[in-house]
This record gives sequence, structure tokens and C-alpha cells, in this order.
Amino acid sequence: MVGKPREPDASEPAASADRGAACPARPEERCGVVQVARHVKDDGRALLLYTYVGERGPA
Amino acid sequence: VSELRFDELRGEQVAYAIHRQDRTFLPARDHCPLCPTRPDGPVTEIPFPAFEIAVFENRFPSFTAPLGAAEVVVYTDQHDGSFGTLEPERAEALMWVWRHRYHELGAREDIDYVFIFENRGVEVGVTLSHPHGQIYGYPFLPPVPGLELAADERLGGCAPCALLERELTDGRRLLFEDEGVVAYVPYAARWAYEAHVVMREHRPSLLDCHPEELRLLAGALQRLVRGYDALFERPFPYVMALHQAPTVTREPGADAGPTSGHLHVEFYPPLRTAEKLKYLAGSEQGAGSFISDTLPEESAATLREAIARAS
Repeated sequence: MVGKPREPDASEPAASADRGAACPARPEERCGVVQVARHVKDDGRALLLYTYVGERGPA
Repeated sequence: VSELRFDELRGEQVAYAIHRQDRTFLPARDHCPLCPTRPDGPVTEIPFPAFEIAVFENRFPSFTAPLGAAEVVVYTDQHDGSFGTLEPERAEALMWVWRHRYHELGAREDIDYVFIFENRGVEVGVTLSHPHGQIYGYPFLPPVPGLELAADERLGGCAPCALLERELTDGRRLLFEDEGVVAYVPYAARWAYEAHVVMREHRPSLLDCHPEELRLLAGALQRLVRGYDALFERPFPYVMALHQAPTVTREPGADAGPTSGHLHVEFYPPLRTAEKLKYLAGSEQGAGSFISDTLPEESAATLREAIARAS
């Protein structure tokens, strides 16, 4: 394969933010054994937090 | 903002990211920017009290949109440790994080090559000791993956597939193998303990791997790194480089060519003994020709013993 990768992402419910300079920008996504929570930092940079959920997903 | 200049003499791009001169350099432990933000502590790059794996845009990027990307991948919120000491589930999760970033960055029109790597140890220029790696999204095809594609053409097919077959047939440089991956010191290794971890089947990128293959890849990379640490009984510095298919945008209908890339991970450790570093000097820098003082077959035997000790 040479070219742009194409693969649909499944969506999951949104997560909550913690203190500090970030808040979720989009609903959480699932990618294989990890779940992705997207945040944006105070200065505008993206921050992604990945959590291991295993093959069956979150409990 | 980075600037790209094309070196006509060498036929390659050079990136100037002068803001990186001011990047954080070996901070004290309690000022590590990759640690979580503790209550009453300084706000770090990750403003949460705990996390598993974090990815963020580099504050001092070599490349940035709309001409590429630079991301930091933090493997754990624990300051001490290394890729080799991660729990197996965390290492497996990291493979999926890499896969996710390859997919997302590679889909961008301005990124032609997604390069996932880790620099470990001050010997290779690490400025933060917290376990982490990086991802560069190059707005051009860099020379090394370009050379690998040229090797595909020269060999009339996938070069890593052909070289893997040769290594399996020869056997002297093999380190270990399983149903998913094969690890070996390459026939023409540049570094004394260079090693390649190659997908057994033809997988252009992480996106093409089965979940079980990703699990096996994570285990193989950890096995090798633990063996490295056992080699001289010290944290072993290295550059770990993932080579995958380019994500170049091609004109509609254009011939994709015979090449596709083949996912493999190359390790370049600078140590040639417990205390001696291999320097890139006259021949390597001035002529572009490596001179090695170690035979790959002998390195492989030594490394096999170290891996066995670490297992």
C-alpha cells in the first residue's frame, strides 16, 4: 500500500475532563484494544489520552 | 515555524527548526514535563493526575501543520522505567496507539511519511528521561524509506520479504522468531548490535496487521530491548525506528509502482562495548560509508545469549 490509509473509526460515548488545561473535543473512539479521548490544551495543541480496554472493550 | 531547504548537492531536504534550541533539556525529576499533573504540583504537558498513554503535539516541533507534524508519545505516567519494563498489555496498547496515529496522520494531505521512533539514552541525544517516543509526519519522503523503496525495485519485489527469507535460510544472525515476527541482526548491519524486527507476513503498515500480530510485535520488541539491557547489564541506548509504507498522495490513476513498504522495526544502538560508543566520523559522515569493527554473526550470538539471560 502506498497512499492515504483508509479505515473507519468506531465512536464511543464522551469522557469527562480533569483539572487543568484540557477538555474533550470529540466523543471517545475505540481503536482495537485502546479507547481514545481527545482533548485540546490551553495553547491549542491536541492531547490524546489512550486507555487499554482489551479486545472486549470497557467493562 | 520550521523551514525546509533542499540540499542540491546531496539531493535531500534539510529542516530548520530553530525554536528547538530552547527546548527543555534534562530537567530535574520534579519538573518533568511528561509526568502527570499532581495535586499542588506544576502543570505538565498532561494536565491530569494519572494516565496510561498520552500523545500530544510537540511544543517544540520539527514539523507542524500545514507542513507535517511532530507528536510526543508518552508510554506511561511513571517517570522511571522504559519500554522494556512496561506491562505486556501496555506494550500491546502502544502498538494500537501507533496504529491510530499512523492512520490519522497518514490520511493528511500534507504528510507523505509517518515516522514513529524512540530515542533512548543521552548517548543518542535524549533530553527527557521519562519513557516516551515520538512521531514525525514528514511533508516529503525521507531518504531512508526512499532507499528501501529503491531496494524493492532493485530486487524486483518487496525487499524486506526477500531479506527475511535470506536470514531465515542462513540462520546465523537470527535472534528469535515466532508465528508473527522474526528478529535478527541484519547481514550488513551498520551498528555493532543493530537488530531488525520484521513482520513474517507481508504487512505494509500497522494498519494491515491482525490484532494477534500486533500483540506479538509488542512482545518481540520488549524481548529485544530487555536483551539489550542484559547485554552489558546497563540501560542500553538505542534509536528505534518503525519503517512502514509511505502515505504519499498520488495523482488519481497514477501507477503506485511495485513497491509497498513492509512493516519492520530497526534498532540502532551506538554502544559497541559496555563503555565505548560508535561515532559517525570521517568515513561515515564524509563518504557516507559505514566501517564496522564487529561481525554481525558474532554480535547475533552475543545478543542471543543476552536475550536468553533476560527471558
